[in-house]
Amino acid sequence: MTALVEARGVYFSFGETPALRGASMTVSAGEILAVMGPSGSGKSTLLHCLAGILAPDRGEVHFAGARIDALPEAQRSALRRDRFGFVFQFGQLVPELSAEENIALPLLLSGTRRADALERARSWFPRLDLDGLEQRRSGELSGGQAQRVALARGLVAEPEVLFADEPTGALDSLAGEQVMNLLSSHAREQGTTVVLVTHEARVAAYADREVIVRDGAVTVLTPASA
Amino acid sequence: MIAFALRLTLRGGREALARLIVIAAAVMIGVALLLTALGGIHAVHAQNNRYAWLETGTAGAAARHAVTNVDPEWWLLTADEYDGQQIGRVDIAATGPSSPVPPGLSELPRPEEYYASPALAELIRSAPRSQLADRYPGRMIGTIGAAGLPSPSTLVVVVGRSASALSSTDRAVRISRISTTPPDQCNGACYAIGYNNNSIDLILSVVTAAILFPILIFIGTATRLSAARRNQRFAAMRLVGATPRQVAIISSVESTLATALGVAAGFALFLLTRPLLVDVPFTGSKFFPGDLSLSITDILAVAVGVPIAAAIAARVALRRVVVSPLGVSRRVTPTSPKPWRLIPLLLGLGELVMFVVIGRPPTIDGQIAAYLTGVLLTMIGLVVAGPWLTMIGSRALVRRARRPASLIAARRLADNPHAAFRAVSGLVLSLFVASIAFGIITTFDSYRVSDGSSSVAATSTLVADLTSYGPRSRSAPIEALPARARQALGRTPGVEGIVEIHAGPGFARPDQAGPQGFVTCAELATVPRVGHCPPGAQSAVVRAGYRDGWEANPATLWPASARSAAEVDALPIATVVVATDGSTTAIERARTVLENAVGVVVEFAPTTIAEDQALSADTQRSKGYQRLADVVILTSLPIAGCTLAVSIVAGLNDRRRPFGLLRLTGAPLAVLRRVIAFETAVPLLLSALAATAAGFAAAYLFLRSQLGETLQPPTLGYYLAVAAGIVASLALVASTLPVLDRITGPEAARND
Repeated sequence: MTALVEARGVYFSFGETPALRGASMTVSAGEILAVMGPSGSGKSTLLHCLAGILAPDRGEVHFAGARIDALPEAQRSALRRDRFGFVFQFGQLVPELSAEENIALPLLLSGTRRADALERARSWFPRLDLDGLEQRRSGELSGGQAQRVALARGLVAEPEVLFADEPTGALDSLAGEQVMNLLSSHAREQGTTVVLVTHEARVAAYADREVIVRDGAVTVLTPASA
Repeated sequence: MIAFALRLTLRGGREALARLIVIAAAVMIGVALLLTALGGIHAVHAQNNRYAWLETGTAGAAARHAVTNVDPEWWLLTADEYDGQQIGRVDIAATGPSSPVPPGLSELPRPEEYYASPALAELIRSAPRSQLADRYPGRMIGTIGAAGLPSPSTLVVVVGRSASALSSTDRAVRISRISTTPPDQCNGACYAIGYNNNSIDLILSVVTAAILFPILIFIGTATRLSAARRNQRFAAMRLVGATPRQVAIISSVESTLATALGVAAGFALFLLTRPLLVDVPFTGSKFFPGDLSLSITDILAVAVGVPIAAAIAARVALRRVVVSPLGVSRRVTPTSPKPWRLIPLLLGLGELVMFVVIGRPPTIDGQIAAYLTGVLLTMIGLVVAGPWLTMIGSRALVRRARRPASLIAARRLADNPHAAFRAVSGLVLSLFVASIAFGIITTFDSYRVSDGSSSVAATSTLVADLTSYGPRSRSAPIEALPARARQALGRTPGVEGIVEIHAGPGFARPDQAGPQGFVTCAELATVPRVGHCPPGAQSAVVRAGYRDGWEANPATLWPASARSAAEVDALPIATVVVATDGSTTAIERARTVLENAVGVVVEFAPTTIAEDQALSADTQRSKGYQRLADVVILTSLPIAGCTLAVSIVAGLNDRRRPFGLLRLTGAPLAVLRRVIAFETAVPLLLSALAATAAGFAAAYLFLRSQLGETLQPPTLGYYLAVAAGIVASLALVASTLPVLDRITGPEAARND
């Protein structure tokens, strides 16, 4: 399969503290890849480098055959906005906006008309079992509901790659399972490639393949079912 | 628990320390401003108190009990001028060794001696003798001490005279004590110097409402910096079992510590800047360093009151956390402000409307109480109604929002209109007060203050009013201008002509047409700028003095008089008009000659028409209002700007994670910047509009009911001041935008 996202010998340090030490990996188009590892191993940093959030100190990051780590921040922002989607562990919903406005936000940022953006956003509510919660604020949603809204926000613009950083980290096992079921099914339905950072084996089980990050390097690459 | 709270605050990592420093710095600025305002109030009082001795001899400052066992003295106060500056001249004559000595002097000057204030002494030394020093007989034997000077820049002279000479002057009074009654405590007729009771009340009301209130809002805003993040931390503590009391103690210790540090630094900043502040002529005159002082009550109120208020505010803010550990971790739709908030505003404006309908209260005190109540109620009404108006405006914006920035901003404003309005409430108050002040000043000036004071004739024509004004009549005590004086004037370079206006019949008790004055046409021809005679006339009938509505107008044709020139010359002199080329040298030399020729018999020193208009009570009052409005604008706008900036930083800090994550997912920084700009500009502009409208409405209602006048459009200065205030506020908003860049960096993506 063709590599859609690729890291080649990526190094990154937070000041004096190294986080990545020559990490290399590939993600194929349409694949769900789990990035696992213990706390502090550098898996979130690797995701941030792959998504163009952080520019590595050394090494290269490629997306769709083009090197992206050397792009200026403005171009990397545009890439993230137009071609990537994101789900974080918590706190990504804008607290003042209603659930439907939060989902519509990436479309609004891309210039879609408000009415169209809200209509597309509303179509996600029945699909994510969120019917009737369109006007709720983030504080009026349960953790699982908020994370499903965040998932819809990550997928609403039909990104080529969805980066999910511990998307179930703040949820109980039942809510986490619900979110992962929805994430994997909708990603597969849309053909979206997923890079999923997690330290939980049962979350990684939704992936096609998993890599282990230890001490800043990718050490093991295995099919998830293995 | 207190030790634990201290450890948390001081050793809680970089963020806790940064929060402590930022809150302390903001409180420092607020406290320094508060102390400056309190010190300013004391300074105005201190300055006013030192005017007391100049009220000596007036009925309003007379002692209730007669003073015995002292030698009385003769006393005469005259207003003099030099190059546009007013000089107070006190002629004084002791009748014995125990005659009272004015403050600032060690002993009374003897005849041919005088004391001058340091500023006047410097002027006397630097100006040519014939222009100033020659006005004072004898020699300067010292300077007047600070106790006798309202301001370091005060120009005052105490001239020693013989009792026989001074007692022969009609205006001189015999006194046995020096007045200690400041102008604001005068109980009857007093000189129009310093600030009277009404002015002091007005200054205190305006300073309290338009300066102290915004400062307190600013300090309050500063202590709420990072409130949301702090509350999240406390909620987390509650979740792990901390009791409400423990959380309250931690919160109070944290707030009190930051505020106490800020208060201490604020005192230091005030003391450091005080030497610079005393040179700012807020009242039109500089202050002495000691004037800008604080009472023990002020010091205690600020040093203890501010930290206590911060601790109480912190506890109140924690109510939601204390009630439920989840209280602040969840964002729910807040309750909206209700329309009842309009009631105080409507009541305030209603009260002012009532006076238009039913008429103003009959007494001055009643009028002051009525208008101040109405204006203060309107002001409070604006602050109370502000959140409701913000909510209405932002809801309309939500419906119309098409772009993400305007949507997020409008939602936030509609969500928490209290916080949004709090950020601009200081600006609202200052614009309200400025609009009232400028509205009244502009109208006042347009109805009363002549704009002819800047004409060449007005600035170069010196007029000596030689009238002696009694309670019921007037007289012209000068029989003739001494020949020596006429010759001296004639020799003075720059003097172009002299006209003597003689007092005719009816001068003592003028009829409706005004007192008649007579001039010879030969003299009038030397000063064509004041009019001319009919052809062939020897003399003409003119107004006796320029206080009778007379002005310099070359087109004036005065009616011919039947008197011969000789008959006119035989009449006593009411006024002398000296036409000059307008140079300081000519005016001051001519003034000195005239003063020496007529002595201090008359109440007013010779002045140009422009100087006279500048010294008029209306002009002085107008200038006073203008100065007050300037002080309000110059002090309250920066305070309002600081409040705005602190509010923005606080709002950003509280939303750093969602904003940071939005940016990481590709939202351009420009969009987030627009969010901040919208969040600030919308309430700022809407509130500015409402405050300005309310200010002009209040000014209109005051002018209609009190003076029966119609509000005139403000001058360019007003628009410039308002525009400058709004631009400065927006610039402060812009200055906070780099913070947005810093706090929405990649670290926002990390899971804390």
